[in-house]
Amino acid sequence: MTAARVAIVTGKYLAFARAAARRALAERTVLIGRSVFLGVILFAFSRIWHVIGASSALPGAGERELVWYLAVSEWSVLSVPPLFLAIEAEVRSGDVACRLVRPVGYVGSQISEAVGEAALRLAVLGPSAALFAWALSGGFPADPRGLWFALPLGLVATLIAILFMAAIGLSAFWIIDTSPFFWIWQKLTFVLGGLLFPLELYPDWLQRIAHATPFPLMCWAPARMALGFAPRQALGSALQGLLWVGILIGLLVVMSRRARARLTVSGG
Amino acid sequence: MSKAIELEQLRKVFRVRERTHGVLGSLRGLVAPRTREVVAVDGVSFAIAAGERVAFVGPNGAGKSTTLKVLAGILRPTSGHVRVAGLEPGRDRGRLGYRIGAVFGQRSQLWMHLPAADTFDLLARIYELAPGEYRARRDELVRAFEIAEICEKPVRQLSLGERMRCELVASLLHRPEILFLDEPTIGLDVVAKATIRDLVRERGRRDGCTVLLTSHDTGDMERVCERVLVIHRGRLLLDRPVDALRKSFIPRKRISVVSEEVELALDLPGVRRLPSAPHRTELEVDLRAVGVDRVVTQIFARARVLDLSVEDPPMEEIVTAIYAGASADAAT
Amino acid sequence: MALRPTLRFARALVATNLRASLALRGAFWLQAAFMVANNLAFFTTWWLLFARFHDIGGWQLRDMMTVFGVVASGFGGSVVFGGGARRLSRMISDGGLDPLLVQPKPVLLHAVGSASTASGWGDMTTGVGMLYLAGRLDFETLPFVLLAAATSATVFVAVAVLFQSLAFWLGDVEQLSRQLWEFTLTFALYPRPLFSGGISFLLYTLVPAGFAGFLPVEVVRQPSLLLCLAALAAALGWWLLALGVFALGLRRYESGNHFSARG
Repeated sequence: MTAARVAIVTGKYLAFARAAARRALAERTVLIGRSVFLGVILFAFSRIWHVIGASSALPGAGERELVWYLAVSEWSVLSVPPLFLAIEAEVRSGDVACRLVRPVGYVGSQISEAVGEAALRLAVLGPSAALFAWALSGGFPADPRGLWFALPLGLVATLIAILFMAAIGLSAFWIIDTSPFFWIWQKLTFVLGGLLFPLELYPDWLQRIAHATPFPLMCWAPARMALGFAPRQALGSALQGLLWVGILIGLLVVMSRRARARLTVSGG
Repeated sequence: MSKAIELEQLRKVFRVRERTHGVLGSLRGLVAPRTREVVAVDGVSFAIAAGERVAFVGPNGAGKSTTLKVLAGILRPTSGHVRVAGLEPGRDRGRLGYRIGAVFGQRSQLWMHLPAADTFDLLARIYELAPGEYRARRDELVRAFEIAEICEKPVRQLSLGERMRCELVASLLHRPEILFLDEPTIGLDVVAKATIRDLVRERGRRDGCTVLLTSHDTGDMERVCERVLVIHRGRLLLDRPVDALRKSFIPRKRISVVSEEVELALDLPGVRRLPSAPHRTELEVDLRAVGVDRVVTQIFARARVLDLSVEDPPMEEIVTAIYAGASADAAT
Repeated sequence: MALRPTLRFARALVATNLRASLALRGAFWLQAAFMVANNLAFFTTWWLLFARFHDIGGWQLRDMMTVFGVVASGFGGSVVFGGGARRLSRMISDGGLDPLLVQPKPVLLHAVGSASTASGWGDMTTGVGMLYLAGRLDFETLPFVLLAAATSATVFVAVAVLFQSLAFWLGDVEQLSRQLWEFTLTFALYPRPLFSGGISFLLYTLVPAGFAGFLPVEVVRQPSLLLCLAALAAALGWWLLALGVFALGLRRYESGNHFSARG
């Protein structure tokens, strides 16, 4: 592939992402709804940490840091659009057959759209998450420099989540209803990913299990940065995240190849 | 003969909120909504005798459904006097419920995931029917409407026509004195329409039940009813026996022919060529001058016909004709 | 209105409703089972928190299990037996009430009982399981548990009716009322000591988690006649309020001036 060709293909995917971002901006009720939800959950947990008196919870991290932790993890989780629903609907209706023959990879275009939408939501929910966290916890974390690392790690987190969702959506080629898969995946992300509080607060054995999975990369990895300045940890998480991005892309390539074979066999 | 429905100077005015734009606009709308009045029914009077089958026709938005909803007790009149089965619908909706039946073409009363027979059982409770009486009535209706197998299948699996037959049975179980049908044939194919029309007419006759149906399909009134009320822009335009209406206002049919010949020419009196396309000829036939059968015979004699259909002119055209006719009536 | 035919109608309605929800057997079991799994995953969070901190505002894990037990049972009951309450706003704005209005039985009862959510069985199962684990199902506590769950369910249905009835004035408010209702559920599932002051005022009014959760939970945690009476009064009060607002809205509906009325 020549450089010009690469530029053309990249341009196409960027166009998908831009269109999706514009669409997401138009859906104001969704954005407002998610912001409000974020505020409510932050409020409830700020109360929990306050009542517990969580200053002793973790070395170097008190009430304020724990609220910021939740703000970051919810920020990245709430920014992920439900991509699996879109793919599943198209697989079931058979529209996917038409889209697979377009000169742009079907899965690639879906993912570009989801990334565009997620980018917009990250941009909108980021400030509101920060505002809520600041107001509810009464300030910034003790070492706010870590928050800068949360930004790229949050991007990686949403990208991994989007790739997972694409895989769940594509599984509709083999199973009728993908939502059970989604629910399981989502709950694992919440619990093993450390959505509501840092994995450091979990029992040791559960921490070990969690870290052996990709789930912490979607919540804990960016949110952890609110607890303190940890450049080495950030770098480690980023590398691990990119590794998982590669693995998931590989999985998606295999899945869509199989799906296409299935389409040609059954004639669409 | 006793009156099933009496309506005097019914007026129904809606206050419609003006749509406001933007966040500020909708906030202002909450505090001091800007409204505008829409007169849906504007002084309509008529009376229907028990056992009559009456069609209430008119173009979309003419006020048919509003009037029907007032009669069924769903809407209260702005002014005017309404009596249905001797009761005042707005005030006595509960008591009236036992004596009327209603089918809203687009709102099902059946439980989608269950067989219609299960809805019938629930309706027996709603109308407090005695078990023996209910079973006899249900079996009679199931036979008459030929839904013995249909009513054992989940409703969502039925075709629209099958579903409508079940809807009708559901609304007839409690032997209503008056049956309101709002667009009962909407969305049905030709065969299903014909079936529903026959069933409603027969049932009305057998039960001695008053039927008032709204429709914007002239076929519904021709096949089911004896009398027709035409409403337009909230006013009663015409109240005639169906036969009379047909003679004076629906004297035309539309015939459209698709033929192998590029053009088709007929030389019969009362046949007018409408704007047509190559291979497709549109004709308007004046029934006072010539019968449809003669026109069709000549078409077949002169052309190799690929497709042919005979239709009534659309409701809007009839209303226009009635407008012209009504002013002529007034002049004499 | 005669009471006995109405009760007989209510019984037949519940039976029909449950049969309809069971008609799609596969989906029914799947939804119920997934709700159990979902609830357990959710509860894991609390279990982890209590494993670490043991005590939140004087509450232990057992208290949290009681909260979960009462609220999940109540919420589950509300969507199983009163699932139609959640669809009220759409019924109002698209004319779905009309067929019920021409039938001679209470419209609200009919509308509320005309749908059932299968996942509610999963909630009820989780709820009963939690109450068992919390040791709240012994012979003496059982009546209080039943009263608590019934109160919670009634408040959930009443609140749904209340929020959804806004559709009489504002058009289709499904999103908004669903959101408010879900917040009610969310807050009902937190320990009461977390909230104080202005917020707890909100939690007994706009987002009445206090009545759907805190109060009935207290009936089980520290049973007393006074609390029982308070719970009964709350259930009755919210139901009457919902009924009143619905009746008021229905009058507006009859005048045809509601948002989407068209001739």
